[in-house]
Amino acid sequence: MSTTTVEVLVIGGGATGAAALYDLARRGVRALLVEQHDLSTGTSGRYHGLLHSGGRYVVSDPATAKECIDENRVLRRIAPFAIEDTGGLFVATPDDPADFVPKWVAGCAHAGIPIERLTAEQVRAAEPALTPRITAAYRIPDASCDSFDLIHAFVEAARHLGSDAWTYQRVTRLLVEGGAVVGAELEDTRTGAQRTVHAACVLNAAGPWAGVVAHQAGLDVQIKLNRGTMVAMNTRYIHTIVNRLRPPSDGDIFVPVGTVCVLGTTSIDTEDPADIHIELWEVSKMLAEAEPVIPGIREGRALRAWAGVRPLYVPPEDRGQEAANDHEVSRQFAVIDHAKRDNLRGLITVVGGKLTTCRLMAEHAVDVVLQQLGKTIPCTTADEPLPVEEPRRYHELPHRLHKLEHGERGGQLICECEIVSRPQLEAAIEAYGDQPVALDDLRRDLRLGMGPCQAGFCGYRAAGILQQQRGDPDGIGTRALADFVEERFRGVYPLLWGHQLRQFYLDELIYRRVLGLDALIQPLNAEEQADAG
Amino acid sequence: MPDNANADGRKHPQGTGRTDVIVIGAGLSGLAAAGHAIRAGAKVRLIAMGWGQQKVAPGWISVCDRAEDDVIAEVRGHAVLHPEHPYGLAGADAMLQGLEQFRALAEEAGLFYDWRQKDGHNMRLMTALGAIQRPAMAPRAMAYGDLTDVSGPVLLVGFTGWRDFYPEMAVNNLRAQGFEARALWVTLPGVDQYWDPWPNELAQSFDNAAFYEAIARQVQPHARDAALVGFPAVLGQDNHNDTVQRMAEQIGRPVFEIPTLPPSMPGHRLSRRLTHWMLHQRARVQVGHPVVRARVENGRCLSVEVEALGHINTFYADEFILATGGLYNGGIKSDDAGRLWEPLFDLPLVTPPGEDRADWYHERLLFEHGHPIHRDTGVRVNPAMRPLNAAGEPVLENVAVIGQMLAGFNPLTDGCAEGIELATAYKAVQTALQLDTQETTR
Repeated sequence: MSTTTVEVLVIGGGATGAAALYDLARRGVRALLVEQHDLSTGTSGRYHGLLHSGGRYVVSDPATAKECIDENRVLRRIAPFAIEDTGGLFVATPDDPADFVPKWVAGCAHAGIPIERLTAEQVRAAEPALTPRITAAYRIPDASCDSFDLIHAFVEAARHLGSDAWTYQRVTRLLVEGGAVVGAELEDTRTGAQRTVHAACVLNAAGPWAGVVAHQAGLDVQIKLNRGTMVAMNTRYIHTIVNRLRPPSDGDIFVPVGTVCVLGTTSIDTEDPADIHIELWEVSKMLAEAEPVIPGIREGRALRAWAGVRPLYVPPEDRGQEAANDHEVSRQFAVIDHAKRDNLRGLITVVGGKLTTCRLMAEHAVDVVLQQLGKTIPCTTADEPLPVEEPRRYHELPHRLHKLEHGERGGQLICECEIVSRPQLEAAIEAYGDQPVALDDLRRDLRLGMGPCQAGFCGYRAAGILQQQRGDPDGIGTRALADFVEERFRGVYPLLWGHQLRQFYLDELIYRRVLGLDALIQPLNAEEQADAG
Repeated sequence: MPDNANADGRKHPQGTGRTDVIVIGAGLSGLAAAGHAIRAGAKVRLIAMGWGQQKVAPGWISVCDRAEDDVIAEVRGHAVLHPEHPYGLAGADAMLQGLEQFRALAEEAGLFYDWRQKDGHNMRLMTALGAIQRPAMAPRAMAYGDLTDVSGPVLLVGFTGWRDFYPEMAVNNLRAQGFEARALWVTLPGVDQYWDPWPNELAQSFDNAAFYEAIARQVQPHARDAALVGFPAVLGQDNHNDTVQRMAEQIGRPVFEIPTLPPSMPGHRLSRRLTHWMLHQRARVQVGHPVVRARVENGRCLSVEVEALGHINTFYADEFILATGGLYNGGIKSDDAGRLWEPLFDLPLVTPPGEDRADWYHERLLFEHGHPIHRDTGVRVNPAMRPLNAAGEPVLENVAVIGQMLAGFNPLTDGCAEGIELATAYKAVQTALQLDTQETTR
C-alpha cells in the first residue's frame, strides 16, 4: 500500500472542496483533494446552472440572500470564464400571491440586491416566449454558471501552486490517533488499489456524504438530505434566467444554459446521499409549472433529467422544527470544528450552502483549518481572477460553431449535436495515458453525447476510436459503449414520451438491430454475475 | 386540373381523385402493400409524411430470428400457438407469400433479396460490432456475408478517417465467437473533398468505377487468404449491383456489406427503386405530405385530406391501408401524462398496463426482454387486418392496419419485424382487392 503525506487532505471534489483546495494553496498550504468519482459529479455537477443573485432567498432566508449577492459579485470577478451574464427576471402571474411582491421588493432592498421594475412591454420585448399574463416583473443580477468549468479552474489553479487532486479515490477510513484525525485510507474505485494519506488536518467537504465521512471518525454530523430534480428542454426558450415571484416552491426556476433551458426543481427528503432517482410525477410537475409561464413548453422536447442531493445544514437549535416546505429550509452553511465540538482535533466539516457561495464556504472552512495548524494567513481568493490559460468554453456551442465556420477545420465531427471533433476526442483519450477511461469521462470532458440523440450516433464512433487508440484486444470499445448507453438511458428514462420516445426507439434500434450490442453484452453480463457470485 | 377534388366535394368521388387503394405510409409495409396492389392491377396512391424505418434499419429481413432450423416451420408453429400474434392473424401462408411477393417486387425494381434456399434456415450475418444476427432474407450483397458455412478468415475493410465504421471492434468480437477475422484500413480516393461524408454520400461515390476500383486495388493484395471481404454497406447507390460484382471480381473474393449507422443504404436503395418503379407503373406517390384528416361515415372511410404546400387536397378510394408505423414513425402519439392515441382515425389501441408511463420501460435500455411499450402498444386487428375495438368488433370496414401499427410484437427484440410487415401487407392487399390467397404446401 502506497503512503503519501500532505499538510491538509480535502475530501470532496465539488465546488466547496475545489475552492478550499485553491484557497489553501493561495495561503501557502499544499493540500491534496480526493474525490470518489470525477470532479463535479456530485451535487455541484447536478444543479440547474444558476448563479444566484440571492433574490430567491430574500424573504425566507435573508442571511443567505446577502451571501449570495456578495459572492455573485465575487465570482463574476474571479471566474468570468464560467459565467454567462444572462441576467435574471422575477415574474409574477395572476396565480401568485400578490402580497408577496412588496415583501420581496423590501427584502431585496434589505439584502442590497439591485432590482429594476420592468413594464409588460419591456418584458415582452426581452423575452417574447413568456406569457403575456405577467403582473409584475423585476430585473435582477442572476447569471448562468458552469460548475464544471469553475471547479476545474479552482483545481488547475491549485495544481499550479503545488497542490494536487486525485479522482476516483473513496475514503474508506479516517485514521484517528491520540485524539486527532491524522489521515485517511483510500480505495481506488476503479482498480481497487489501496492508499494511505497522512495529513495534519482533514477538511470534510463531501457534500451529501459529509455525514458518512464524519461517521468514519465516529462522529455524528446531522445533514438534511434533500433531492431536487431538473429537466433540460431542447430549446433555449428564454435568454434570461426566469424565477417565479412567489415563495420558493417546486418548478419555479428556468435557466438558459448553452443551447438548452433547464427547469428546476423539486424538493424531496431522502436518507441516501446517492439517491438521484427521479419520479415521473416530478417531471410532469415541472412541465405543468412551466406551462403557465412559458406557454407551449409542455409540447417541447425534454432532453434529459437529472437529480442532485442538497446537503442542507440544520442548526441544532432548529432541529425538530418543521419548515413550511423544504424549499424554505435555510441554505446557510456551517463550518464544524470537531476539536471544539467533539474534542477531536484534525477534522473540520463544512456543510450546507449553495454553489454560489462555495468560495465563501471555503474561506471560512480554511480559516478554521489554519487555526488548527497554528497559522494566521488571510484569505486572498476574492482578490484576483482565477488564472485560466485557455478557457474551456466547451459548453458554448456557438463558440465551437464559430471556430468551424471560420476556417479552423477541426477534423471530423464525431458528436454532431455538441460539435465534438475527432482530434478533440483523440486528445482527450490521450490525456488519460494508460489510466482507465470511460466514454462518460469523455462526455464530461467534451460534452460528447449530451445533445438531442444522447449518444445514439457518437457512442459507436467514440467506442471505435477508443478501441483503435488503445489497441486493446479484449474489446474495450464494446464494453465502454455498453456502459455509456445505459448511463445515457438513465438520464432520459423519465422523459420517454413524444419526441424523446421516438429518439430512443431509434437509439435502441441502432444498438440492438444495427449493431447487435445486446447480444454481445449478454455473455459479458453473465461473466460479471458469475464473478460477483 | 390535378386529380384532387374541391374542398366542397363538388367533384364527384368517382373522378380522377379516386384510386382503388390509398396506402398511408412509406415504410417497408406501406411500400410492399402498394407494390403488391399495383402488381395485382389496382390503381394505387401512396401518401406518406416521410420515409419509414427501412432508412435506419440494418436492411435485412428478420422473419423469425430465433429459429434454429427451418424458419417457415417455426413461424407455422408460432402462428398456430398464438392466434392473436400478427403472424397468427395473417397466417403463415401470408407470411410466405408476402416474402415471395416482396422478392419478386424488388427484383422487378432491380434489387435482389436472397435466402438460404438449400435448407431454409436463418443466415448468420455480422454487424459493425461483430455481433451475429440471424435474419431469414437479406439484400444479395449482405447475404454474401452469411457466415454459416464460412471457412477461412473474414477480411473487414475500414476507410481511414471515416467516422462510421471501425473494423477492429468487429474483429475482436468475431474472434471471441470463434471466427477468424482481420481488419484492413484503406484510403478513400480524394478524401480531402469530403467533410464528414454520410453513408449516402459515400454510396454515391461508389457508383463511380474509378472510385471503387481505387479501393479494390488497395484491398486485393491483402485478400488472398480471405474467404470473404466485408465492407460497410455503402457500396453504391444506383449502381450498387454492378459495384459489388465488379469489386468482387477485382479483389478475387466474394464481397459483402455490413449495416452502418443510419442512414441505411439498403433501405435507401429500396425506397428509391420502388418509388421509381411505382411511378413507372403510373401509381401516385406523395412522400413528404402528412395526411391530416380522414372522413369516416357509417364505419367506412370515404376520403383522406392531405396537407401539401399550404393546401388541403382530398383523395378518395375504396380501400385504405394504414401503415403509419406505430410510435416511432408517428402513427401513434404519446404525451407526458401517459396518453397514447392514433391521430388519424382515433383507432382503439391496446396500451401497456397502468395509468401512467411507469410501466412503459424497463430501467436498462438493453434489457434482454425489451420494453413493454414496444410490445403492448398498437392496434388490434382481425385476420382481414380490419381494426377492432375492445369488444373485438371491426370499427372500419374498408381500412386495413398493418406493420408496426399492430399490437402484440416487439419489433426491436422479437426478430420478426420485417416478416410481420410483409405478411400483414400481403394479407391486407389480398382482402382489400378480394384476391384469393394462394395456398402453399411448404
